Amino acid sequence: MRIKTILLSFFSFVLLLFNGCSEPESKFQVPIEYYKLDNGLKVVLSQDKTTPIVTVAVYYNIGFRIEPKDRTGFAHLFEHMMFQGSQNLPKGEFDKLINYNGGILNGSTRFDFTNYFEIMPAHKLETILWAEADRMKGLNVTQENLTNQQGVVVNEVKVNVLNQPYGGFPWLDLPQYANTNWFNSHNFYGDLEDIEAANLTDVKSFFDTYYSPNNAVLVVVGDFETNEAKNFIKKYFENIPSSELPPKPDLKEPKQEQEKFASNVDNLASRPALAFAYHVPERNTPEYFAMGLLNQILVAGNDSKLYQKLVNDKAVTGNVSGGINLLGNMYNYNGPMLWTVYLFHDNSVTSDSIMALVDDAFNEIIENPIDQKTLDRAKVKIRSEFYDEVDSFYGFGKADLLASYALFEDNPNKINSIEDEFKKVTPELIQKTAKEFLRNSNRTVLTIIPNK
Amino acid sequence: MKKIKYIIKTLLLFSVLSVLFAQNETPPIGSEPKNFNLPPSQTFNLDNGLSVTTVQFGNIPKVTIQIKIRVGNLNEGENEIWLADLTGDLLTEGTEKYSAEQIAEKAAEMGGEVNVSTGLDQTTITGSVLSEFVPDLISLLAEITQRPTFNEKSIDRIKKDLLRSLSIQKSQPQNIANESFSKAIYGDHPYGRMYPTEEMINGFDRAKVVDFYTNNFGAKRTHIFVSGVFNEDEVNNSIKNNFSTWKEGNDIFINVPETKAQKDLIIIDRKDAPQSTLYLGLPVIDPSDPNYIKLSVTNTLLGGYFSSRITTNIREDKGYTYSPRSQISSRYRSAYYLQVADVSTDVTAAALKEIFYEINHLQDEAPTEEELNGVKNYIAGIFVLQNSSPNAIINQLNYVDLHNLNNDYLNTYVKQIYSVTPEEIKETASKYLKDKEMTLVIVGDEAKVKKQLSEYGELKFIE
Repeated sequence: MRIKTILLSFFSFVLLLFNGCSEPESKFQVPIEYYKLDNGLKVVLSQDKTTPIVTVAVYYNIGFRIEPKDRTGFAHLFEHMMFQGSQNLPKGEFDKLINYNGGILNGSTRFDFTNYFEIMPAHKLETILWAEADRMKGLNVTQENLTNQQGVVVNEVKVNVLNQPYGGFPWLDLPQYANTNWFNSHNFYGDLEDIEAANLTDVKSFFDTYYSPNNAVLVVVGDFETNEAKNFIKKYFENIPSSELPPKPDLKEPKQEQEKFASNVDNLASRPALAFAYHVPERNTPEYFAMGLLNQILVAGNDSKLYQKLVNDKAVTGNVSGGINLLGNMYNYNGPMLWTVYLFHDNSVTSDSIMALVDDAFNEIIENPIDQKTLDRAKVKIRSEFYDEVDSFYGFGKADLLASYALFEDNPNKINSIEDEFKKVTPELIQKTAKEFLRNSNRTVLTIIPNK
Repeated sequence: MKKIKYIIKTLLLFSVLSVLFAQNETPPIGSEPKNFNLPPSQTFNLDNGLSVTTVQFGNIPKVTIQIKIRVGNLNEGENEIWLADLTGDLLTEGTEKYSAEQIAEKAAEMGGEVNVSTGLDQTTITGSVLSEFVPDLISLLAEITQRPTFNEKSIDRIKKDLLRSLSIQKSQPQNIANESFSKAIYGDHPYGRMYPTEEMINGFDRAKVVDFYTNNFGAKRTHIFVSGVFNEDEVNNSIKNNFSTWKEGNDIFINVPETKAQKDLIIIDRKDAPQSTLYLGLPVIDPSDPNYIKLSVTNTLLGGYFSSRITTNIREDKGYTYSPRSQISSRYRSAYYLQVADVSTDVTAAALKEIFYEINHLQDEAPTEEELNGVKNYIAGIFVLQNSSPNAIINQLNYVDLHNLNNDYLNTYVKQIYSVTPEEIKETASKYLKDKEMTLVIVGDEAKVKKQLSEYGELKFIE
């Protein structure tokens, strides 16, 4: 019996080797168990016993796009309130519970979700699940807590934007110029007056509207026993009542027909900077995957066309950065999005002359089909980068992708088919996508002018 | 041990009972801790003095290689600040076999990039690629490390990039504060020289770069770390084939700075700045000192993690700032304690008062067992993370290597953390975190800051 098994596995090993000749790529699969509780809470479990840690992430389907119109920055301010006290954990106790048990925690607010996560020693899984359930049940915050966090958030905006050269460049500024629909184009860090105007009624109503189990996904990644995890989840989350969700507002951006230009004077900056952005194809369409590869071809890494042209050849800048969704990655959003490229340059070079070089590079892609070698390289790069996303930050990267696909598509298994979607992209599709989306009339150009 | 567990269980039972009476719930304590073993590593040396350490880790089919070379800003002359950076940047700009573009393309074809970063004590050449390409990566890294050509065209371009980078970095308040703080701590030692002048950069040429490379790069100063998913024999052979013939080069250069803590207040004006950037600290013992672990725990408790005293005070209680933090920053045989915070301008003095209050309070009164245990658990938990990704593992092993610590350091680390007592924390704070000998740098609106400081009579530090 034993010997047979060994022979069989030996045999399949040989087969694998042969397959390897035609297709050298080892396909990596994330194990996934997906289900929903009766109250609508989505649950994704993904075991990984490499190391005795566990990552728990709760994603609520509320991003800064759809925060109240007279309360810019509120989705983010509210994120801070989730650490300010719940039914059984007064202010500060949530942080301490995680830290004192050997873990780290954080939260972040993005276009289409607000997330909360903890990375802990594996044996503390029940502790975290209890704590996350506790704050999903309800908050217990005072005016004093709110005032305190308004101070913290105002300081956050100061340190990241107001007191920083190139502060909102381009991640905060460009969406405001490139988009026309308020949901996509408002200041999502928040105007200081709006942040300071927020009151406890806003906090309660925001929580009641969006922070319910049927508007969330719970992801557990790491070293756990599946049945035990399921029991804990049932025990702590099952009785949290669901609520009626408001209809989702229309996030659509009208098709851009004319190139836009914007310019900011930055008194703190010492050199000019330039950014430009294009609206990208709708998520999960063939063109969207082609756009991911275009990003690899044009801007990702030192082999990219823009790096070679602007840095290596013309020496107008030291680096070219960019990507789809600068506040995350091309997988974790759900609505209109920009592909942004940015760089810093010297006063001796004009932004117009740089844009002329960019036009040259892009016209080449638009007018000629991409050569197979460059496309193949882009595919290898994106596969490698995708593994990095999955592997990033001790299981959090995996949790982030699983949460996004569960939240936005009700299908976390999608994580295992991404590689195939990129494989399907042809040189023709690359050219078609470039033609349609890399046209100048789909572009917004932002320049930063230093005041010295 | 058993007895303690029993008591905790009883407490838990008690609190579960009390829920029935609508009292507050207590968090469940979880189960028994799982064993954590450091991922095993293998180290060997080549005849030319080069060291190699490999660690298998994880299941994602990628591999990370970091070549750590003991050369950095420490090796620069007085008028050569950033010559190490220029030399490092040039490594990927062309070799005997490949142009810069070919290097970038080759790395990209393996699903990766090759990056060089220059630090004070070390230059790191990193490549991270899909596992199937690991031998190709090793030969590419060997080419970059051993046979750079330093072409004139790239030198001109990178000098321009360095000038731009210098100008942009010096426009950021945190960098301005850091430069001034480093200068105060280290004086004329290379660690105290953060930024060159434009003239220095303009004066760099190919001869200087080649000289710097020749004097400072070589096998005796090099340690190659490999981590991720890979075939051990394939990697070892490939490294032997590609690095055995590299020149030995010079021995590691040692230049330990003399530092002396002294009270100093430096205000750098940034008119109308909405925040003051605070850098506060002093030289302390380095990682080779037996008391370093105690100092490290003390720092974590005071300002080094989210639930720390200073963060709880000036952020979560007062709302003066967003991301305050403290650290022990270490170089070879040298270290300093540093608390930083960007605080709203109008509460600059108030924030400083609270920071000094927390330092003094810890010097006067030992922390409770409960608080200290929390800190220890936190550090032990972080230690697992610090050994749970290819890059993190390499960082840990390199730390032990750079600071020349005991081979057992990582294996006994957690035990040492748990042996620190509350009284020792108090003693450590008094002995090493002497607030009367700290350097304080404030980058902000000078007039407003000075006015506040003069109104704060009880801020003795400032007098």
